[in-house]
Amino acid sequence: MANTVIGSSIVIDGEISGDEPLTIQGTVKGKISMAQNVVIDSGATVEADVEGQTVTVSGKLTGNVSAREKLELRPESKMVGNAKAPRIVVADGASFKGNVDMDV
Amino acid sequence: MADKETVIGPETRISGEIRGDEDLVIKGRVDGKITLSQTLTVDKGGIVQADVDVKMLVVSGTLVGNIVASEVVQLLSTARVVGDLAAPRVLMESGAAYRGRVDMGDIEAARAAVASHVVAKPATESVHSRPAPPRMAAPPKSVAVAPKVAMKPPLAAPAPSAPPAFPRVSGAVSGSAPAWAKKKIRRR
Repeated sequence: MANTVIGSSIVIDGEISGDEPLTIQGTVKGKISMAQNVVIDSGATVEADVEGQTVTVSGKLTGNVSAREKLELRPESKMVGNAKAPRIVVADGASFKGNVDMDV
Repeated sequence: MADKETVIGPETRISGEIRGDEDLVIKGRVDGKITLSQTLTVDKGGIVQADVDVKMLVVSGTLVGNIVASEVVQLLSTARVVGDLAAPRVLMESGAAYRGRVDMGDIEAARAAVASHVVAKPATESVHSRPAPPRMAAPPKSVAVAPKVAMKPPLAAPAPSAPPAFPRVSGAVSGSAPAWAKKKIRRR
């Protein structure tokens, strides 16, 4: 399966875009705009606006999220920024600060 | 850790800077700058337009930009690379397309080593170098011929100038093998 993985010791400063699943374990600053699922693993640090089909956060995310399908904040996640998605799941233990827009 | 490799998939594009301490495989597209302490692989189909500073670089795809590798650069048969390349070891497979300058680093040191070797030779092989000059020593023979030339009236004028020339040559030869050896060194 075509897949993009940004490993734990990688730092990207810039823009990531594309049409395949993206997993981030390292650090990304800038902008992420994918046509498919974006996973921010535990240990990852993202300072970027994120756009994806579904966005799953287990790590640290600072920036606005726009998910076409679903945004999921896992137990250990920390997110600061505005969330825009038709469905948003916030697990127990997740910390979140920002506006929520479910398009209602 | 299992996550010791980063993959930029074929449908992904990154513009900006990538830094890191693990292997990176690019199957998609990266524009910007890449700094890695490990191996960068640009897979077949991968397009990279970036200055690259890595430990090892393996290219099967397309790379445009200046390359600095601390260990080795491998351009495989499907590679297309444009840009200056600096690495102590460079491997190019048949079929690889490359345009740019290659710098394998301490060539000056290697050159100096060769030069000092050459300098050492005359000292140790001066006996050998004497037989070598016969090419130059040949003129003395022609000095003997020169009189014949001198006998020819039309060439009488050049003849006088010729004999002095030969002694000079032979003088240089007897003067030393090191003399011509030194000339060689100077040429390098």
